[in-house]
Amino acid sequence: MKTIVIGLGNPILTDDSVGIKIARELKARLSNDCEGVEIVELYAGGIRLIDVLAGYDKAIIVDAMLTGEHKPGTIHRFSSTNLTSTRNAMSMHDLDLPGALELGRMLGIRLPEDFRIWGIEADDVETFSEELTHQVACSVRPVVEEVMEELLTLTQYI
Amino acid sequence: MASVKALDGVFGVTPTSAGSKTRELVYMAFFVTDHATHFYALGGPDFIVGPDAPPSERNILGVVRKVGLDIGKQVIDCRARNHHIIKMLGGRGVHPTAGQPGGWSKPVSEEERKEIEEIARKNIDFALFSLKAFDDIVLKNPQYLELVTSDIYLHKTYYMGTVDEKNRPNFFDGMVRVVDPEGKELMKYHPSEYTKHIAEHVESWTYLKYPYLKKIGWKGFVDGMDSGVYAATPLARLNVADSMATPKAQEHYERFYATFGSKKINGRYQPVHHRLATHWARLIELLYAAEHMLELATDPEITSPDVRTIPTSIKGEGVGCVEAPRGTLTHHYITDDRGVITKANLIVATTNNYAVMTMSIKRAAEKLITKGKIVEEGILNRIEMAFRLYDPCLSCATHSLPGKMPMTVNIRKSDGEVIRSFKRG
Repeated sequence: MKTIVIGLGNPILTDDSVGIKIARELKARLSNDCEGVEIVELYAGGIRLIDVLAGYDKAIIVDAMLTGEHKPGTIHRFSSTNLTSTRNAMSMHDLDLPGALELGRMLGIRLPEDFRIWGIEADDVETFSEELTHQVACSVRPVVEEVMEELLTLTQYI
Repeated sequence: MASVKALDGVFGVTPTSAGSKTRELVYMAFFVTDHATHFYALGGPDFIVGPDAPPSERNILGVVRKVGLDIGKQVIDCRARNHHIIKMLGGRGVHPTAGQPGGWSKPVSEEERKEIEEIARKNIDFALFSLKAFDDIVLKNPQYLELVTSDIYLHKTYYMGTVDEKNRPNFFDGMVRVVDPEGKELMKYHPSEYTKHIAEHVESWTYLKYPYLKKIGWKGFVDGMDSGVYAATPLARLNVADSMATPKAQEHYERFYATFGSKKINGRYQPVHHRLATHWARLIELLYAAEHMLELATDPEITSPDVRTIPTSIKGEGVGCVEAPRGTLTHHYITDDRGVITKANLIVATTNNYAVMTMSIKRAAEKLITKGKIVEEGILNRIEMAFRLYDPCLSCATHSLPGKMPMTVNIRKSDGEVIRSFKRG
């Protein structure tokens, strides 16, 4: 069983980096002998996701999102059955996440069947900064705990 | 690459030959993957799926549905293998970290070199396959051929591109050459002298500036010999060149100009002004990048461990220039005595083309809205095509982040009153 955890976002656009920061925290928390789990930082979505997801059985994606309907720091959870585009996964350069998955499967590329997605409601994704806004920063630890718990159910190595 | 070349200047250091070649090798891998993505995923839908198709189908999914799974697989494979090289040699797939003032942080091993050579050969096959697909799908389709050769996006402007000592396109290094709308060389200068030749015009209704040729001057959004508007695109790079530097790309370069009926004057072809030909030019450049990648991968020096000259002083100013996939890219840094940047000026590739993009959108409007009649079918797509051929994503080029591609076309009466609106997004 191979699992990939993707922290998606731009590391220098304030809250857009929350997925990257969570991926780094997870990497620090995971034991070295965590065979079968890979954690990556990804700065672009769209077709690039196909390259990264190919060959894995399960995927966990953490990304900032902007619905404008929730308070900054609100944690949204999605799965394979209610997959929704996040702002960054919806790369306007090419394809959104469901589109990328559809393309990959159309081409016969083995992609994960099981997805877990955490989307953190962002406040500011336009100011150049490597720091998160306060409310979004407060969401990092709970998401890390939830993803660790999810990984625990997926693997026997943690 | 422009950034690290600017840092060479800041630290007053000349990269070693092997370090410079390693940079260029990574850059060719980037060019192959970027041009492939631009053509198939971003520009190709305009030709392959067609301008009248709904936006939901004008993407790579629509392309694959129309032309078959094999092309889709080849595009994904091409991207994956070249991103692998960028990550392997550059440290990261996006924003590589291995570029350093004076060269590169690690040498290419023989094992890596062999893998890169194999990938470069695959890239050449992929480029030839793409040119064949363009031939079959576009050039042999009278409707699409008419679109490419029509005057809807035609502007007789100046052209800019970087060339080597034989006036052949060079994406990585060389002199910036500018030719006039008839193909005569206007000037050739070292990138560090860009401020002597380029100025920027400002309009109150946009925060992106309009670069123009100082020598000619800003005359507004018009083309012709008297207007300082220029283009710096794949088409422009072919238009400023006397020939291509690799044999297979040269064959296709010849065919390109023959198709448009360009005549040779003083040993070089008259420029092609049809902007939709930019996509074809992009594929010829893809082939050149693949061929040059193979040249670099088989260069005996590429595995030399001497990849970096260590800087020993801080000069405090540097200009770095490369040909980015969309056009000439210039970074200019000024630093304090610690090497910390205090002032920076960038002319990003697409910025060069902002005036011609504006003109192409205006031209599309003039052709689609005339004498009280509006060609409603595909109007948003055709206007979008006018800037997509320069850059797939203007909001990214201008660092605006709407997260989607909203478009509004307002049809106004001569007194300014809005009488119709077409919207998307």
